[in-house]
Amino acid sequence: MDIGKFLKSPEYEIKITTYRDIFQAEAMERDRFGEEYKMLSAAISISKIDMQKMGLKPKDRVKISNSYGSIIVEAKETKKDEPGGLAFMVNSPWSNSLVSGDTQGKGIPEYKNINAKISLSKEEITTLEKLIAPFIKKPIPF
Amino acid sequence: MATCTGCALLCDDIEAIVENNRIKETRNACRRGAARMKGCVNRLVPSIDQKPTDIESSIRKTVEIIKNARSPMLFGLDNSTCEAQAKGIRLAKKLNAVIDDTSSFCQGLLIERILQKKLRTCSLDDIRNKADVLVYWGSDAQDSQPRHLSRFSYFPRGESRQRGYEEDRKAIAIDVRESNTAKICKGHFYRIPLKGDREFILALIEALSGKVPAYDTKKMLELAGILKKAEFGAVFVGIGLTYSIKEDFDILTALAEKLPNFNIMPMVGHYNMRGFNEALFKETGFVNRVKLEPKAVHDNKYSIMESLIRKNTDAIIVVGSDPMISLPRPVLTYLASIPVICIDPCISMTSKIAAVTIPCAATCMESGGTAIRMDGKVISLSKIITSEYMPDEEIMDRLMEAI
Ligand code: SF4
Repeated sequence: MDIGKFLKSPEYEIKITTYRDIFQAEAMERDRFGEEYKMLSAAISISKIDMQKMGLKPKDRVKISNSYGSIIVEAKETKKDEPGGLAFMVNSPWSNSLVSGDTQGKGIPEYKNINAKISLSKEEITTLEKLIAPFIKKPIPF
Repeated sequence: MATCTGCALLCDDIEAIVENNRIKETRNACRRGAARMKGCVNRLVPSIDQKPTDIESSIRKTVEIIKNARSPMLFGLDNSTCEAQAKGIRLAKKLNAVIDDTSSFCQGLLIERILQKKLRTCSLDDIRNKADVLVYWGSDAQDSQPRHLSRFSYFPRGESRQRGYEEDRKAIAIDVRESNTAKICKGHFYRIPLKGDREFILALIEALSGKVPAYDTKKMLELAGILKKAEFGAVFVGIGLTYSIKEDFDILTALAEKLPNFNIMPMVGHYNMRGFNEALFKETGFVNRVKLEPKAVHDNKYSIMESLIRKNTDAIIVVGSDPMISLPRPVLTYLASIPVICIDPCISMTSKIAAVTIPCAATCMESGGTAIRMDGKVISLSKIITSEYMPDEEIMDRLMEAI
């Protein structure tokens, strides 16, 4: 395996908006620490055109990062033909990792207007445990 | 019949099949509602500093923390009954605390204007009976309030709409994404760029005023034509639209003035967020972001976001909400650094960082009361199964007594 190939994976600017998904909401009601909630949240849907431009395939893992946070999620192709230029994530702690805390004093974050960088990654998909770990003072068994 | 608390539609036609004091199956609920009614797999246990304890010790510890706090905050209550909300507001008053809820970063701007009567609104029953033009704007009801189209808007037969969606009703979607709702609005999907709602509204106002808009002229005139012909229209405002025009929200009022036959309906997620907004509005004249000194002072600095960014709060009681899941990551460090008291039926991300946890009963499964549907109608919630857990209303009472 040529690891260098991945280290040099090109990085692209990406604009992301968030949406709600009934299957993810159902999984959250049942168990927000479960595998299903993770799989339905830790994903980004990208239009076919943009997938091709960025050389990505469905099921690729991608790193999405900006100055607020960094996550590894699965890339998916949007179910419907989207014109490109905008990618989609289901609203979750994963997408919230990329949202600025600055609300211009108004109290409403830009949940649906995220700018980040995306690149192919070999790392594991970010777990909820990993997202919450820095905030837990003592380790607690999940 | 039971009521589902999965979203602010509060469907009250749910059949719950109970076996051994557990909800085994539900009929009529959507996927989300069914999952909610069956309950979460991880129930919360009382704890102090993440060590299990008994409920009495948790309550005592909460009182100790809150009494020592310089600037306490009460956050949430959107997943609580109206009765618990009223007591929560009283508790905040007694503590001279700041009180806020998720509407602060959700539909608060819209509900405030509806309660101030700046926007015309109607009931969901009116929509079912009379509406002929339905506009889902920045709202994917199919995924967020999944039975909205089938119970109230597009599909049902209504008193003056006997032929339902086939002939009598037209559904329109305006969104940045071809959502599942947009898919149903075949031929009437208007895609807009991210943050493009303001421009779209301005062009639509022009078209409705008989001018020729520069923006996508043909589609805009076509849309204005449909809206003008409506006998009874509804605009379902989702958070997509609210977020997009938050800097200039009054533009929605300007549009509503051009649409005299239309009503504005807030698409609300949490089942009793409107209940919280109405209760606080009645008490203080504001729907959220209030410091009860005990005289009510409203300021954006009392929003949960600004309270955390400015590090203005030093202890927080979170009731039926999971801010660790719903807030942007940059503010979580401060939230996790202050004592958090988490009152919830289930283990949540917030309970994982809480100094104290107090489990409560799950409303409408294990406790009853009332709640306010997204359109303002009061819906009663009845208890279906018995449980050892205290309803949050009782927890509010206990805290009040002890303080
Ligand atoms: S639409 Fe909302 S209230 Fe109705 S069953 Fe689904 S989640 Fe429950």
